[in-house]
Amino acid sequence: MLEVHNLTKIYDDGTVALRDVSFKLPDGEFMVVIGLSGSGKSTLLRCINRLIDPTEGEIIWNGIDLAKLKGKELRETRRSIGMIFQHFNLVKRSSVLTNVLAGRLGYTPIRLSVMGRFSKGDMKLAHQALERLGIPEQASKRADELSGGQQQRVGIARALMQQPKLILADEPVASLDPVLAHSILQQLERLNREDRISILCSLHYLDLVQRYATTVIGLHEGRIVYRGSARDIRAMTDAEFKDIYGQEAERVGESIGGIIQDA
Amino acid sequence: MIEPKPSPPIQPRPNPIQAIVVAILTFFLPGLGQLFARKIRRALLMLASYATIGGLIVWRFVEAAPRDTGFVPIFLKGIRLEPMLLFILILAIIFMILASIDAYFLIRGVERNAAGLFILIAVLFFFLGWQLSDINLVRFITGLDEGRYRLSQVMWPWSRAIERPEELIRGEAIIEIPCSENPPAQSEILPDEAYVISDPTCGVLSVQQGPEGSPLHLIGGNFIPNMEVDIMWEDPIGNEFRQRQGGEYISVMSDDEGGFEIDIIMPYRLLPTDVGEFQYWAVFGQQVASLGEAQASTELKLAISHMIETIFLGMMATCFGIVFSVPISFLAARNLMSASWITVIIYYLVRGVLNIVRSIEPLIWAVIATIIVGLGPFAGILALTVHSIAALGKLYSEAIESIDPGPIEAIQATGANWLQTVVYGVIPQIIPPFVSFTIYRWDINVRMSTIIGMVGGGGIGFLLYQWIKLLDYRAAGIAVWFIAITVAILDFVSAEIRKRFV
Ligand SMILES: Nc1ncnc2c1ncn2[C@@H]1O[C@H](COP(=O)(O)OP(=O)(O)OP(=O)(O)O)[C@@H](O)[C@H]1O
Ligand SMILES: [Mg+2]
Repeated sequence: MLEVHNLTKIYDDGTVALRDVSFKLPDGEFMVVIGLSGSGKSTLLRCINRLIDPTEGEIIWNGIDLAKLKGKELRETRRSIGMIFQHFNLVKRSSVLTNVLAGRLGYTPIRLSVMGRFSKGDMKLAHQALERLGIPEQASKRADELSGGQQQRVGIARALMQQPKLILADEPVASLDPVLAHSILQQLERLNREDRISILCSLHYLDLVQRYATTVIGLHEGRIVYRGSARDIRAMTDAEFKDIYGQEAERVGESIGGIIQDA
Repeated sequence: MIEPKPSPPIQPRPNPIQAIVVAILTFFLPGLGQLFARKIRRALLMLASYATIGGLIVWRFVEAAPRDTGFVPIFLKGIRLEPMLLFILILAIIFMILASIDAYFLIRGVERNAAGLFILIAVLFFFLGWQLSDINLVRFITGLDEGRYRLSQVMWPWSRAIERPEELIRGEAIIEIPCSENPPAQSEILPDEAYVISDPTCGVLSVQQGPEGSPLHLIGGNFIPNMEVDIMWEDPIGNEFRQRQGGEYISVMSDDEGGFEIDIIMPYRLLPTDVGEFQYWAVFGQQVASLGEAQASTELKLAISHMIETIFLGMMATCFGIVFSVPISFLAARNLMSASWITVIIYYLVRGVLNIVRSIEPLIWAVIATIIVGLGPFAGILALTVHSIAALGKLYSEAIESIDPGPIEAIQATGANWLQTVVYGVIPQIIPPFVSFTIYRWDINVRMSTIIGMVGGGGIGFLLYQWIKLLDYRAAGIAVWFIAITVAILDFVSAEIRKRFV
């Protein structure tokens, strides 16, 4: 269970990226964050695993306030939260296997990992993860030799290696074509259903949101302006839409399957 | 040129007379009329060019006639010695005429493109440059012809790369002076050694301004076929000298079997006094032949050893360069140094120093190094090290700056600690460019070390420089070949290695 209370993030240059954001993510949910570019989606996700430090507020993860953690405790807590990225963030010149094994670093003694050694169990886990994501034969290739969709699978495999309870996905399909987008989100959905991993994912395309989300929050200028279930999304009113995407935004086509156009 | 359009175009248009006056003034001071017409930029450019070109022309004339005084003598002598100056002068006058025509039309309010004028200025500078830098195509062509032989020595120097030890082939006959009752026996015909048989085996020497000496008939054999045999004498105290007859040295060509026959007259010679009544001299035939096993010449050995020295010189400089530039490169990487104003100041300081050091050529560093540590490879290593530190420091720091922060965040997000993040997120990103830059630098250093020797930095350049000075073009050619081969191999190897790593 993730509970975010009154989260505020003000960047050094004074940009207020999040204002007083509060929400609950019960275990096993597939929560999607929607909002315009610059509305604070990335900031929110990155505050949760403390890639950036929140200015104020609490992030309660299984009873621990992540916002207050430091050093070793923070690293140990991070192990249970995986993250996948829009641009995959693989180490391009390392092999696929090394990239996947990197997900295990938090569990590996520093002495061994610095020499590039991982336990047999970790190796097995890595191969299983690649198998599960359908790319077992790519293990020894360099990461940048893979296609975009394959690279994102490697990213997911890396997160999976952490045996996480929560996966943060920051626009995981924004640099992929629609077919690949579905297949990647289906992988996440499987992890969500089979392994009961909670997903917190930011997405741009409303049809994807409707298809995969179990709950939705909408951000506008750092505030939560919309909360709803997948079913609520289908019934989203024009007023709600404009709350999220601004007064000038227009919905393309009917409410279902619409693609958001930025104002 | 972007001319700002005159915003109030309604100006009283000067009449033709005014325009002509201005044009004439402009002839003497190009740019003046343009200034009147408010073409400020054009005017300034023309004024500046006029002043510079005028100054240069005057200077070239004075330079051409340094001992003359007075306008006319200097002018005439300058034209005579440097005909191109006349041409330049004519061009300059055309420029002045065009400038005044341009001024006339501008004053009359006709918009004109000044491109032609500026092309003329460029042409003027071109020919001034030609005259100034002493370009002489005729000398180039004739020099090519004269230098062809020397160039061919440089290009194909290999006759200098091997040498054979010289061997003397000698066969002799003993001659008794004067004849006794028992002259010495004729020498034997040896089966595989050169021999000379004289008939007779005794006689008297020629006397200066006196009677000629006895004639001898010499038969030689087992010499090298078809090669000159020098006829020589050895007197009783071991002095050797060549047979001379009628002022000419005598030598004879051996036939296909290595034999010869010749008639000679016994030579002049003052008899050494303290020997007995009868003296025994030897007449002999001698060939100087390079027969021994071919072996590497001294020059070849020197070139090889110095080439090896050069390669290692470059390698050592690269090693020291790496050792120092890696830590420095971290200080010169903006993304690492933008944390606080202190680090930013360090960043700019390091960057500045690196840029200055890098902009000074290794050759100059070598001169400085030889002042400190004297001539030799160490000076070369110092010079190249200093330059490598600066060059690698910059390249490395740029590699660090171009690190993708994404993977680093991703690895941090897995719960990895600082060291693990560096090992898994940073190092894999910087190793390939570091290796690639280092190999590249090694390549450059070896190449540089071939010429750094010329200013005393050791290595093959030093030899090359010496041999050129000694006019030993073949030896210099060997050095040039070695340099070329090494550089080519290195080029290939470094390209291959870099391909693997990028
Ligand atoms: N490092 C930073 N320093 C200062 N301001 C930042 C920084 N990162 C983001 N911001 C600002 O914070 C606001 C929220 O940014 P954020 O990246 O969270 O938006 P987003 O919803 O993820 O947008 P997108 O859909 O384009 O990724 C924006 O106004 C952005 O300009
Ligand atoms: Mg974002």
